[in-house]
Amino acid sequence: MPSAEISLTINTQETEEDILGPLQEELSACIQCGTCTASCRNAQLMDFTPRRLWRLVLMGQTEEVFHSKTFALCSACYYCTLRCPRGLPLTDAMNTLKQLGAKKNVAEYRPNARFYGSFLESVRRHGRINEMEFMRRYFILMKNPAIPIKFTPLGIRLLRKGKISIFPDKSKTERPLDQFFQRVEELERQQ
Amino acid sequence: MARKSGSALVIGAGISGIRSAIDLAETGYHVFLVDKAPHIGGILEQLDHQFPTNRCGMCKLLPAVEPDQASQQCLRRGLFHDNIEILTAAEITDISGEAGSFCATLHQHPTLVDPNRCMGCGECAEACPVEVKDIFNAGLSTRKAIYRPAPQSLPGTYVIDLSACTHCGQCVPVCPTGAIRMATADRQKFKILVVDDELIVRDSLRALLADEGFSVEMAESGEAALERLTSDAFHLMLLDIKMPGMEGVDVLKAALEIQPELQVVMMTAYATIETAVESIKTGAADYLVKPFEEASLLPQIYRFYEEGGNGGQRILDVGAVIIAAGCRYFDPAEGKDVFGYGIYPDVVTHLEFERLISGTGPFGGRLVKPSDGRPVQKIAWIQCVGSRDLQTDSDFCSSICCMSAVKEAMLARAISGGQVETVIFYMDMRVFEKPFQQYLDDAKRSGVQCQRCRVHSVSASEDKARLTIRYVDTDGAHEALFDLAVLSVGQRPAENAENFSEMLELELNPWGYLAPRPFSLTSTAKPGVFLGGAVAGLTDINDAVIRAGAAACGASEAIHKSGGSLEAVESADDQVRDISREEPNVLVIICTCSDRLKPLIDMDALLDRIQADPSVSQCLQVDGLCSPDGWAEMLEELKGKPVNRVLLATCAANAYAHKRLEVSDAAGLPEKAVQIIDVFFSGWFAGDASAKEQTHYNTGHVERRLKFAIAGLKGINLMPAEKIDVYQSALVVGGGIAGMTAALAIAGHGFRVELVEKTGQLGGNLNWLNRTIDGADVAELLQSTISRVNNNPLINVHLNSAVADIQGAIGRFQSTIDDGESAHMASHGVTILATGGVEGPTESYGYGRSPAVMTQKEFETGRANGQIDPAALSSVAMIQCVDCREPPRNYCSRICCLSALKHALYLKEQNPDISVYILYRDMMTYGFYETYYTQARRKGITFFPYTVEAKPEVTVPEENSSSGAPAVRITTTDPIIGRSIQIEADLLVLATGITPVLPGELMPKLDAEVDAHGFFKEADFKWRPVESLAAGVFACGLALSPRSIDESIASAEAAAMRAVRMISCQHLTAGRKIAVVRHSLCSGCQLCMSVCPYGAREIDPESGRIEVNPLKCQGCGACAVICPNSATILAEGSEMEMFEMIDAALGSI
Repeated sequence: MPSAEISLTINTQETEEDILGPLQEELSACIQCGTCTASCRNAQLMDFTPRRLWRLVLMGQTEEVFHSKTFALCSACYYCTLRCPRGLPLTDAMNTLKQLGAKKNVAEYRPNARFYGSFLESVRRHGRINEMEFMRRYFILMKNPAIPIKFTPLGIRLLRKGKISIFPDKSKTERPLDQFFQRVEELERQQ
Repeated sequence: MARKSGSALVIGAGISGIRSAIDLAETGYHVFLVDKAPHIGGILEQLDHQFPTNRCGMCKLLPAVEPDQASQQCLRRGLFHDNIEILTAAEITDISGEAGSFCATLHQHPTLVDPNRCMGCGECAEACPVEVKDIFNAGLSTRKAIYRPAPQSLPGTYVIDLSACTHCGQCVPVCPTGAIRMATADRQKFKILVVDDELIVRDSLRALLADEGFSVEMAESGEAALERLTSDAFHLMLLDIKMPGMEGVDVLKAALEIQPELQVVMMTAYATIETAVESIKTGAADYLVKPFEEASLLPQIYRFYEEGGNGGQRILDVGAVIIAAGCRYFDPAEGKDVFGYGIYPDVVTHLEFERLISGTGPFGGRLVKPSDGRPVQKIAWIQCVGSRDLQTDSDFCSSICCMSAVKEAMLARAISGGQVETVIFYMDMRVFEKPFQQYLDDAKRSGVQCQRCRVHSVSASEDKARLTIRYVDTDGAHEALFDLAVLSVGQRPAENAENFSEMLELELNPWGYLAPRPFSLTSTAKPGVFLGGAVAGLTDINDAVIRAGAAACGASEAIHKSGGSLEAVESADDQVRDISREEPNVLVIICTCSDRLKPLIDMDALLDRIQADPSVSQCLQVDGLCSPDGWAEMLEELKGKPVNRVLLATCAANAYAHKRLEVSDAAGLPEKAVQIIDVFFSGWFAGDASAKEQTHYNTGHVERRLKFAIAGLKGINLMPAEKIDVYQSALVVGGGIAGMTAALAIAGHGFRVELVEKTGQLGGNLNWLNRTIDGADVAELLQSTISRVNNNPLINVHLNSAVADIQGAIGRFQSTIDDGESAHMASHGVTILATGGVEGPTESYGYGRSPAVMTQKEFETGRANGQIDPAALSSVAMIQCVDCREPPRNYCSRICCLSALKHALYLKEQNPDISVYILYRDMMTYGFYETYYTQARRKGITFFPYTVEAKPEVTVPEENSSSGAPAVRITTTDPIIGRSIQIEADLLVLATGITPVLPGELMPKLDAEVDAHGFFKEADFKWRPVESLAAGVFACGLALSPRSIDESIASAEAAAMRAVRMISCQHLTAGRKIAVVRHSLCSGCQLCMSVCPYGAREIDPESGRIEVNPLKCQGCGACAVICPNSATILAEGSEMEMFEMIDAALGSI
């Protein structure tokens, strides 16, 4: 259990960048009852349980929040949102943390961000997912030869069963979703 | 007994309603006590044990002064009071008028059983073929359509549940007294019009209804129906919703224009149920879903027939109305139902659990699983189900569930001899009343486990035999197996709260409860209408009883002000023979119960043996005392008989308790000289023995019962009860809000009040309070109250004064009031202590070593005088329960959490950038205060729970440190993240609770006691919360226990009501069953004085004798037991008489 002391002092509160501010506002009614943790099917894999993560968010512990694996492990099943006695949008809050994590380029979240990025890039290029290309991109981005080796047995099994193909999928139109993605990027910039 | 003009209506006969009714009845008003259930007692009928005593004790509501006014018996069985008219199975449908002259319409639901004839034998229920869920046992068992509403209630009259009865008539012939009225002749007069476009539906309905004897006509379309209605009057129309041509809803509207009194039941297919529900708003009485089932259709038709044809309407003229209609409970099957209620039979609500372990419950008090009847080993209580849950729209606390769970857990452990493991899963343990913290500590010590968390879900275990409970604690998620899960379901507003709100233009709060006016718990925007008990939010018994007293006080004042006099209306004084010097001469009358008794006993032998007693003049038989004929015959027999005592032997004797007066009047005897006893019993000898032996056994039984009663009758105390003159004025000590309220309430009834205040100004703690958490203006309340006190000619205010001495007892107190210069004497009938309380002292958390550490009171005054500027602060911390809720001050002060929230919200409102931290043990935001807790969270106030084992640590900087340094450093542990937290705050506010101020030197003179923490000790915490065991001494406000302003006002009104009751008569009559001292035998050892719980004994300074105050004595007999030479005896029930009764009871077996 981490034992670092948390300081709630007048000075740190003011200098802290207010990146968690909107989230705190959304979650302020939280009573730390733990229903989210008990609902969460991935909780045992998380370093902080959801309840503990929300508590840290509310106390403005930005560093700790973003260095935790918790939000990266959220599989968005929405069970916690359904069950929260306060009716808080917990799954949405997890998504917000994922976005913030990517934006802040948090080291712990980088593999996830790259994974999602590769996925989307593949979709952008073909209008659907091309598994081989998706994984290739991911491996290149990760710059770690151990990762492709780790995935090799799985890849071979999938190849044998014909689940993936080494040949790129021939799409009729090149980059069919470009416009769509551009529009999203534009909207994000506006925000 | 003295009666006063004026009457009141009390709606709801639960604890609150009963308390209000008894208060008003004792004061002399006529009270209509109405309940829609067929029995009185409300939810308390179903509960055998109450916290924190784990006993019942409801009988303590009965009058203790002038006890002979009401029957002194178990109140759960029934209530009989001369001034109370109980109307059960009845509803108030309309109230009009204003304070002093309300006109209420009462609708009496027919029960089809004549209560004057029914003797509760239960043969009808044996015969009844209809079985439905028993609501009394919370649906855990079944009962018949004809049933006894509560197993212990007396008289044990049966009633018919019209929503289940099929009118098969099987019960009618088996009733030995012919009490069931199910006449078929009148059905022909009940005209029903069936409107449906389908011939088959019309025909089948006609056949069915005509078979039952109703007149049925048919119409095939809406137009045809309206035509029939214009030419003929009908009682009931069954109307199809979907017809070609005119639609059902349009027909409904048109039909009601033609015959406004017509009852219309819509018939609908499943698809159009919504339309049918809508049509109820248009005026339909109900709806039926096709296809019909005979078993469910007929009860509905009969309900209309009985209600419409025979149900009685009655107009009640009353001066004031008290609404004590109670509340409903959350249905956990509603919504998501994550706890599996209704799916797993072993998941029950707390009410079902109470029935489960009740001796009169479905399992006879054995603790077993409802699913398979096997013993329970492990029980979980799940708190806050439908409370403190925004998802079920319940941003409130239900106030009682924590304590009821603790109680139930203790009971479960007691029943099982400590074998059952009990775990309470709770969020905050709300032990906010004076004795509750101690009770919780005791429970934990006895092995009740408390686990702080919210349970996630309940599911069946893998082998389906047990329940798996999933929850999270600070270590993570767990799954544990239990046999039984008890859901502490939250409160919901009473079904008819909305009706009352419309009827009387009363306000509802955001959750649908009737809302009182600011600073009151009982008075409403409508003068003369008051709220009692849970109708304004669920409360425990203590609170309910106090509120009931306050409501009664308001009602009494309203009646009084509108001309209802408190002067005694002279009643013809007892025109009875003085028989105190006559030899006992008993007339015994035995009811032969429609000859049912004759084959069981040897009547001739019995009569011979009874008449052998020289004090029995005659022993008669009468057939069927329960029938009007039998009763009249008995009264006739009494006339002209030269007897001085009458003994009636019947069944269900308690049913006749209220008719005793009729008998005594007919015989010209005091009521006391008439006794009615039960000779029937359930264990008539039956078995292998010969008929002769059986008869012998049964006769012996009846004989012993009769002889026992005769021996008792011989020894009754017939001396006229002592009457004591009363000083019709009151002394109120303490001029805070409680004292002023009590004084105003008493003066409002026209009695003089001496109000003694030790400081130079009235107001007490209100002088430094500004606003309450709900934003009400305290200063305005204070100013208006002070001016009302000063302008009231009946209130004599003594400032800078103290009560130097007090002598005497109830009715006749003499006090010396010392104002520093001179002493005044005051005579008064009652004494009310409203001496208040102060903020608790502390030296903890660096208090006193830095100006940055202050108490809540100092914060409140500081912010009022501008010393505390929220804009100049950036961080404020608050610590709750400072030196409270742990020995030596082991009680919760109830208001500190609310004060902390009030201050925190104020700071956030003034300076949104400020950081506020509240360190708490359990947030006591009971009832609707919970919403402020939610608000505080939403505003970003941070809460840290701490435990008494790991309290926060505070470092206070040196006073001469540089000004830039942060002020106070607080270190605590956050259990959620499991880490140490350091808070640097400009200000640390400590909640140190409340300590009482009681005039210690006066307490022994008043025979009043002080509890372990220095508060006034109530006669009984729950049932008699504002008075002392010594009659005539009351307390209210903080002297009683920590409470908020509105709660102090309510306690003051409740105390005033009880006080007014005692001084409203010129004299009080003592009970007859009291202790007397035989001075010739008394050695003056004074042992009796130390054991008397009521302080009823004192030494006469002149003669040196021990005297008994007849008003204070309750006849408990403790003195008679301890007296070494039997100098003290009870005026009724001396040793000799007792021995005689015991001999008679044992008899010749």
